[in-house]
Amino acid sequence: MIEDKSKYEVIIVGSGLAGLVAANILADYNLKILLVDENIHLGGQLLRKIPEELGEYSELHLDKVKRVGFEFVNQVKQKKLTLLNKTILMGIYNDREILLEWNRQKAFSLKYDLLLLATGARERFIPFKGWTLPGVYSTGLVQVLMKSSGVLPARRMLIGGTGLFLLAAGYEYLKNGGRLLGIMEQSPWLNKIKFMPQIFHQFPKFWEGARYLSLIYRSRVPVKYKRKIVEARGEKQVEEVVVARVDGRGRVIKGTERTYSVEALAVGYGFVPNIEAAQLAGCELEYAREKGGWTVKVNDRLETSVPDILAAGEITGIGGGQKSICEGQLAAYTILEKLGKVKEVPFAPRLKKLQRERKHHLSFMKCFNSLYQVEPATLLDLPEETIICRCESVTLKDLKEALKMGCHNPNALKVATRCAMGKCQGRTCTPIIYELLQAMCQREGGEIGLFTVRPPLKPISLQALNKSSS
Amino acid sequence: MDNLRIPAIKRKEKINLYVNGKPITAYAGETVLAALLAAGYKIIKKNPVSQEPRGALCGMGVCFECTVTINGVPNIRACVTEVQEGMRVELDD
Ligand SMILES: Cc1cc2nc3c(=O)[nH]c(=O)nc-3n(C[C@H](O)[C@H](O)[C@H](O)COP(=O)(O)OP(=O)(O)OC[C@H]3O[C@@H](n4cnc5c(N)ncnc54)[C@H](O)[C@@H]3O)c2cc1C
Ligand code: FES
Repeated sequence: MIEDKSKYEVIIVGSGLAGLVAANILADYNLKILLVDENIHLGGQLLRKIPEELGEYSELHLDKVKRVGFEFVNQVKQKKLTLLNKTILMGIYNDREILLEWNRQKAFSLKYDLLLLATGARERFIPFKGWTLPGVYSTGLVQVLMKSSGVLPARRMLIGGTGLFLLAAGYEYLKNGGRLLGIMEQSPWLNKIKFMPQIFHQFPKFWEGARYLSLIYRSRVPVKYKRKIVEARGEKQVEEVVVARVDGRGRVIKGTERTYSVEALAVGYGFVPNIEAAQLAGCELEYAREKGGWTVKVNDRLETSVPDILAAGEITGIGGGQKSICEGQLAAYTILEKLGKVKEVPFAPRLKKLQRERKHHLSFMKCFNSLYQVEPATLLDLPEETIICRCESVTLKDLKEALKMGCHNPNALKVATRCAMGKCQGRTCTPIIYELLQAMCQREGGEIGLFTVRPPLKPISLQALNKSSS
Repeated sequence: MDNLRIPAIKRKEKINLYVNGKPITAYAGETVLAALLAAGYKIIKKNPVSQEPRGALCGMGVCFECTVTINGVPNIRACVTEVQEGMRVELDD
């Protein structure tokens, strides 16, 4: 736990690449810094490895971003700052105060001078009939299970959805001895390769993709494009998956269905920024589909619209590891300047260079993400009994009926159907519902509005509440 | 059902847990979810509204589809909790 409850000069939320890089730089300037993360380990989504207490396992190949990242993890542990894992940011209040919950046991508040939100991204889900069956996993679950616990999700598995991440998950599953039945990519992205110039700026990403593909092809695993997962079937858990061809707009071509017999299905549809903390703090948000939906609006120094709150990494737009590293640095230098520590570094040129680099990442991000977009309109083709909000078992039919009764914004839909009201507090279904509303009302993303966010950001444990009030 | 564990990893300490009273073996450092899946427990609970079976989805603490009761404390996410010796896990399936 944490002994020192007096004010911190900088509190960083999220120890992914962005938060980690910022903490590393700031820790050299004799500041009082706290880095908190909900996870058991430092490193966020990208930097996961078999824990030492579990056993020895040398990964065959770490790419450059991961190598650099793990170095940051080691460095930050040696430095002068307070690290707090298993700690969730639950609330942000006026007067530069936040509420944290540690290890499901204790809730406490802390004050800060500057707050850096680096809360990263989570996976995006696109529903289909039967996606609630046990054995339907996210590609992230597959990776985390193998990388953090050394366990395969199943012996025989199909992968589907859209994005380069499908190949990454497939590659690792094969490498660890899983039997991969195929990878079904929904997008026809090979047709869209016209974005070539930007792609060369980020060659490593494609080199990575090529490496994945070569093992997958060598293992004779079929990789198919324009294929969509339309149904998962099974008595009590997934046993069969139905896959169909889609046309250029993502619509299913009738009569092309094919059934696979599986032990598990892994699906991935890209990432959505974790904006909820920033939203709660009142930071201005902006909607851009090519950035992953709703993102936190920042200026070129990564300041948000709320004084003394900055944002870095995936929450400003889905852009991958290198963008997060760049923004972590940029945020750190902005913070140093704000705290009057600037004279100690040759400052302005470095800031300029990072800002230029960031622009490259942003333009690449837009092209890259648009290769893998799923058209909101295709959600309306789902069978009406498809569950959209898993926690409250709200179906597409329920939502369509509420819409007919005049619920044209997220909060009205919530009141009418209980969608986004369950245990996950809408983390799984809100991005889906935003897109459904766009399609149903034929409006642009930004016009739909957002669900209201209230503290606590995650269900707080009763134990923690009792301890903090006593 | 040890064969879901990746053989290339030289594991260290064994951990005993109880799932609905039945003993299973796991290894220090694994998450409760990994231990459950490796022991063949794919169905984690019933959805309180529809009563359908549900299992883990996200594996990283977001979806709350993996919540179990651990040592009497309800609503613990199995995917972000590490195993500990003697843990009692109750599935509401
Ligand atoms: C499952 C998954 C797999 C990925 N795999 C790859 C990959 O292979 N290659 C690649 O280039 N990119 C991958 N990405 C994208 C990845 O997010 C970026 O590459 C980069 O690592 C992001 O860094 P970040 O610091 O912006 O965010 P993240 O790494 O997402 O870190 C954010 C951190 O904030 C913490 N956090 C969030 N909310 C709270 C809160 N309320 N309280 C406390 N802590 C909080 C989280 O626990 C997390 O550790 C993946 C993303 C996901 C979701
Ligand atoms: S599987 Fe989603 S919270 Fe555990």
